[in-house]
Amino acid sequence: MRKSLSVLLPTAGLLLIAAGAAGFAQFQSGSYGSTKATSLKQSVPPQFSRDGNFSVAPFPSFAPELAEGEGGAETQSFCAACHSTRYITMQPPLPAATWEAEVNKMIKTFGAPIPDATAKKIISYLQQYYTPENRKQ
Amino acid sequence: MVQWRGHLSRRDALKLLGGAGGLTIGKWFQARAIFAQQLPTSKESEPFTGPGPNPHWNSVGPYVSEPQKAPLILLTDRPVQLETPRSYFQSALTPNDAFYVRWHLSEIPNRVDLSEWKLKIEGNVNKPQTLSLSDLMEKFKPVSLTAVNQCSGNSRSRFQPRVAGGQWGNGAMGNAVWTGVGLRELLNAAGIKQGSVQVQFQGLDTGPGPTGSGSNVFLKSLELSDSVLDEAVVAYLMNGEPLPMLNGFPVRLVVPGYFATYWMKCLTWIRILSTPDENFWMKTGYRVPDTPRGNTTPEEMKAGGVKTVPISRMPVRSFLVSPDGSYKIPAGMHVTLRGIAFSGYGKIVKVEISEDGAKTWRAAQLGEDHGAYSFRTWEAQWTPKTPGSYTVAVRATDEKGAVQPDEPVWNPGGYLWNKIEKQEIVVGKASGGESR
Repeated sequence: MRKSLSVLLPTAGLLLIAAGAAGFAQFQSGSYGSTKATSLKQSVPPQFSRDGNFSVAPFPSFAPELAEGEGGAETQSFCAACHSTRYITMQPPLPAATWEAEVNKMIKTFGAPIPDATAKKIISYLQQYYTPENRKQ
Repeated sequence: MVQWRGHLSRRDALKLLGGAGGLTIGKWFQARAIFAQQLPTSKESEPFTGPGPNPHWNSVGPYVSEPQKAPLILLTDRPVQLETPRSYFQSALTPNDAFYVRWHLSEIPNRVDLSEWKLKIEGNVNKPQTLSLSDLMEKFKPVSLTAVNQCSGNSRSRFQPRVAGGQWGNGAMGNAVWTGVGLRELLNAAGIKQGSVQVQFQGLDTGPGPTGSGSNVFLKSLELSDSVLDEAVVAYLMNGEPLPMLNGFPVRLVVPGYFATYWMKCLTWIRILSTPDENFWMKTGYRVPDTPRGNTTPEEMKAGGVKTVPISRMPVRSFLVSPDGSYKIPAGMHVTLRGIAFSGYGKIVKVEISEDGAKTWRAAQLGEDHGAYSFRTWEAQWTPKTPGSYTVAVRATDEKGAVQPDEPVWNPGGYLWNKIEKQEIVVGKASGGESR
């Protein structure tokens, strides 16, 4: 079984070489997919003083892409006061009633000062883009 | 028409605010001014799973670098919630830089000045205590224990129907050697007065919500009659190193066997209460149905009257860490299945594996014993003889006799998931013969 591969299957091998990769009955190689690389920052050594202060760099903020539409501005503006809007995008598609309950919880339980009319807009925005019926992958 | 994304001008922002009138929460307003115009980082659609269960072992967020941390899986950036990738669980101890992170409120300390910082023991005590980190390290005998810290909502993304909340995969857990002062020693130093009922814990984190509300302060309490107080530790070392800021520098409470909600990070106030704690995080948050496994249904919840209790100990769980199903295994090859098991109710006494989707079981070999509340590693040899798709399952039994069930659990908080874990593994031919 140790015969030369190119002797075994010269045609298939040549075809794939022409396409930038090598392929034989026993193996195929040189296949690379196309993708985007995202770089993660290397941490820079901080300048420490010898006092009692122990600190870390600011926590990075990764604002997510929200669906574009009516009520989006209010959602970004009011919800992001207390938390990242990743709290929205991270969720699975949730039923309309759940979104209403979530916004009401923020107001009634957590005291978010959102005017009634704005709350209605935020609820209808979330119901428009983040339910099982309409959330886009 | 107001442009919604990133282009909200100051005037537009004020216009939006017009209806709010008489805002009194200064911090909230300030935060809004800062974050209202935050630009998204990419044009990619944001990852999510559902409405079915998350099919992956981990959650689906991007990898990010946070201070003192290896790249971890992002759930949310403000407050910070990060999940530990599966491969870190090949060892019994989870490295500090890979240890998951979960905060409730957005104002997390970036800096602690130890020349000012003091741990306070106050409330219904005879001798209130004010202790610096030096005091904790020098005036008390250090104690060490190895214990698993697991988020109450670990694996929430498995729930059906899905529930709102942090959409964790299985990586909201970690195991470390914690060194510090026994909580009981500190309570004794302060002297608990007659008529006390609970001990409350508070850290340095706060949120912009109304004073005293659940969005302003995170408070957790334990009953003074709870024997776990004798095992709890105020830890200043994690795996022999200072705690990462995101894991609670300078000290955090360790409550072995209990879910992480009680493991207060940046612990600064220990308060003895003479009446039960009625704050949001005790009375409303982190409660589970008072039923076997904390199980209920959406219908029962809607009907009302489901009695709840504060979440406490972690039910028995086990995981296959490798192989992870991302590659084929040649038929006839001797492979080692590896993983971990733990229980909040004590020692793991048995781990079993199944190669046929939880129909037949055989015992796995347990690894080194690091104590009752630690991860227990396990391994099993496996030689799949014929090509095909195998469902490898793992289940653990703890010293109380509790065995992992194959049925799911459901409750509105997304807590207490401990169903048997299963992993599809494909085995391929290793030769040209018929059988293999």
